[in-house]
Amino acid sequence: MKNLFYKTGTLALFAGVLLTSCDPDIDTPSSSAGTADFTSYVAVGNSLSAGYADNGLTLPGQQASLPAILASQFQKAGGGAFEQPLFPEDKPNGSGYLRLTGFTPQGQPITQPVTTDLAVRGQNEKGAPLYTKYTENVNNLAIPGIKTADIKTPGYGSTQGNAYFERLTDNPMQTYLQYVQAQAEAANHTFFSVWIAENDVLGYATSGGAFETDPRYKITPVADFDANFKELLDVLTADKQKGVLITVPDVTSVPFFTTLGPSIKQVLATNNIPGMVAITGSGRDRTQFAASQIGAAENGIYFPLTASSYAPLIGQPTGKYWRELAKQLSPSQDPLVVRLTLAGVLANYGIDTTAMFGLSAGNPLPSALVLDPVEQAKIKTATEGYNQIIKAQATARDLAFFDANAYFKSIQGGFAANNVGYSPAFITGNLFSLDGIHPTPRGYAVVANEVIDVINSKYNANIPKADITQYDAVLFPGRQ
Amino acid sequence: MKSRILALLGGTLLSASAMAGGYQVNLASQRQIGMGHTGTGLVTGTSSIFFNPGAMSYVRENGVTIGASALFSKIAYSAPESNGVTARTDNPVGTPFQVYAVYKINDKLAAGLGVYTPFGSTAKWGQEWSGRFGLEELSLSAIFFQPTLSYAITDKLGIGAGLTYVKGSVNLQRGIPVQDEAGNYGRAELDGDGTSLGYNVGIYFKPSEKLSLGINYRSRVDVDVEEGDATFTVAPSLKSRFPDTKFGASLPLPATLSVGIGFMPTEALTIAVDVNRVEWSAYESLRFDYKDAVNGSNFTENARNYEDAYIYRIGAEYKATEALALRAGAYYDSSPVQDGYLTPETPDADARGLSVGLGYSVSDNIKLDASFLYINKKERTDASDKSGGIGGTYKAVAYIPGLALTYNF
Repeated sequence: MKNLFYKTGTLALFAGVLLTSCDPDIDTPSSSAGTADFTSYVAVGNSLSAGYADNGLTLPGQQASLPAILASQFQKAGGGAFEQPLFPEDKPNGSGYLRLTGFTPQGQPITQPVTTDLAVRGQNEKGAPLYTKYTENVNNLAIPGIKTADIKTPGYGSTQGNAYFERLTDNPMQTYLQYVQAQAEAANHTFFSVWIAENDVLGYATSGGAFETDPRYKITPVADFDANFKELLDVLTADKQKGVLITVPDVTSVPFFTTLGPSIKQVLATNNIPGMVAITGSGRDRTQFAASQIGAAENGIYFPLTASSYAPLIGQPTGKYWRELAKQLSPSQDPLVVRLTLAGVLANYGIDTTAMFGLSAGNPLPSALVLDPVEQAKIKTATEGYNQIIKAQATARDLAFFDANAYFKSIQGGFAANNVGYSPAFITGNLFSLDGIHPTPRGYAVVANEVIDVINSKYNANIPKADITQYDAVLFPGRQ
Repeated sequence: MKSRILALLGGTLLSASAMAGGYQVNLASQRQIGMGHTGTGLVTGTSSIFFNPGAMSYVRENGVTIGASALFSKIAYSAPESNGVTARTDNPVGTPFQVYAVYKINDKLAAGLGVYTPFGSTAKWGQEWSGRFGLEELSLSAIFFQPTLSYAITDKLGIGAGLTYVKGSVNLQRGIPVQDEAGNYGRAELDGDGTSLGYNVGIYFKPSEKLSLGINYRSRVDVDVEEGDATFTVAPSLKSRFPDTKFGASLPLPATLSVGIGFMPTEALTIAVDVNRVEWSAYESLRFDYKDAVNGSNFTENARNYEDAYIYRIGAEYKATEALALRAGAYYDSSPVQDGYLTPETPDADARGLSVGLGYSVSDNIKLDASFLYINKKERTDASDKSGGIGGTYKAVAYIPGLALTYNF
């Protein structure tokens, strides 16, 4: 009896084990490249295509770069290998980056630069770091910091000092455009992406429009952008290759500009202060704004994250910002020379450091710490100008077109995916890294999926979407 | 032997995967599983304790039945626009079981005790899949203890009622989308149990030799977890936002109203048809209340808004010989989950069930029943945008062999 029970039971279990191998299946569409060909994909662009995040370029960042994510999805639709100028595995921290180390009692994030395991091989004559060389052929041609205006500048990597370009080329006088041409030919590329115009306005924006006369911080004139952009596309579409063009997002909507405003507004409200005084542009002109303008949709005022350490000084007599600026500008760090520089700076901008900081014409907010409506208007005009050209070129050359500007506008209110909330909020929004400008790897994956959408629809392709949950967002201190 | 099997069950029991609508598990009798889980309008033997206490007084002898099923369930998931199956559950084998004992006090009155597991759910998706912030693993179980009395008013009409004492438990694990400095994601685990009371009543009517009817109502039972343990594993810098704390939750186990008919065209053949109405509308939301605020909130709540669902069943038994009975059945189980509310806990869809079974009398007082049930849920694609679920396409199947032993005396 007992025997029979066990025998039957064993038989039933055995049958069950057999049957469990009959897994359910789901019929899904198969991946295809449509009319595109991803055999050899090259990516052209700036930090947003290089994998830059947390104010630095690192090996993990490169591995999760937007083009790398795209390429790994392309590979499911016939795409080929995608080489990147990766930092060595024993120097994964590359340029160094910002890491989150904790929070202040008020809940403000505390960040700290990581300076270990850097891929630094030396210094240039100005004392800036030089990174580990990578002169093999690559598919990811993106250079952090590059402007469209820079692509024909000889010595851009060497004499002009872009260390990210310097590491990729053996020819110090090679322009970026020449480099792209050489690499594209070597790759015999069949598909490309271009996302490049960001830095043509970003430097101006992040410096609060304060150093317009310095070419590094000036807005690239739309006509200059137009000429260079077309030349770049001529190179990339020489054999009628297919590709995708991406617009510049509105740089003022990133956490770098939206995070600080609410807390300053709060301080003003608590102290019944109706408004503030700031310097506008690169001169010494003062401008006044009302507290209600902070973060407003019309005539808004934005504070860059770089103003964080000065915000607590509002209303106090202080010359902190100017002392630090003088130190930077001073030809020598000799205290006497620095003091002389400071005197010059104060005279130049008409500053009285005994007046109330940010609240008086005598001691206004420095231009670099505020983005006022006049400055924003210049950014907007340029951004719209570039984006119109990008769109027109996509149409003229019959390329896929991703309007990143429209996309980032559409997600200002946030969205949810996989039961995870996303928004442009600093740190908590999961999309933006600790520099407040560049996406997290997860943010790049979100963008990659949007780019895949436009490629699929333009080329009648069916590239599968990336699993965004496999990519990191902001990492919090401590090991669980 | 009985105690040994019970001990064995005790070790592995209560991981029944929900393979009926919602988290109901309709595996209450091996004989009846073979007949498409009909039985409301029949005298099913000791299992009338479950199917219809009104019929229990008509069993001819005292009897004890113990049985269990081995539930192999598999769910495949395809993330939106992923062009493939991106996740599969790794569910442990579920072991829903049943123990029934019926004692005839006299010709008209019978007393019984049933222990069975009509609700449960196990879904183990793991820590890698894209929906892990919705669910990594859920294990939900309820064990019902039901003392029952049944009285035959006449030869044709019987009534019965049982009180159900329910012991339920829940264990839910999910990822928290915050990462520590090494990139590890946070995790939450909610673990708790609760008890509750309900009832099971039925009327059985046999107007002729060839026809019998039954109606049965199993009440709603709310399993209230009061002092469950909520444990959060996160980066130390976030621990103050995710303190380990206690939680409360209430999980409704819905009422089921069943009507059934039995036809006995010949001595050897029994045909049964049942309709179950499961009052799933009781399940409006899944809410956890925390004693201490978790990530700034004292509760989490996700809408469920289930709809009442109907199950249509048909089954037959043919006595091939005195000792051997052959059975077959089928059912159609409509899902209580509305569009927009699909979750990975119970990625439910309309389901088709096909069953076969056999009964064999080893001796005058020992009988074996074996059953095999195959459940195929329809492939279902849902945005899951109203439930905090994970959108995508789900497809589930289950293979459920089962075995029971009955001793009559």
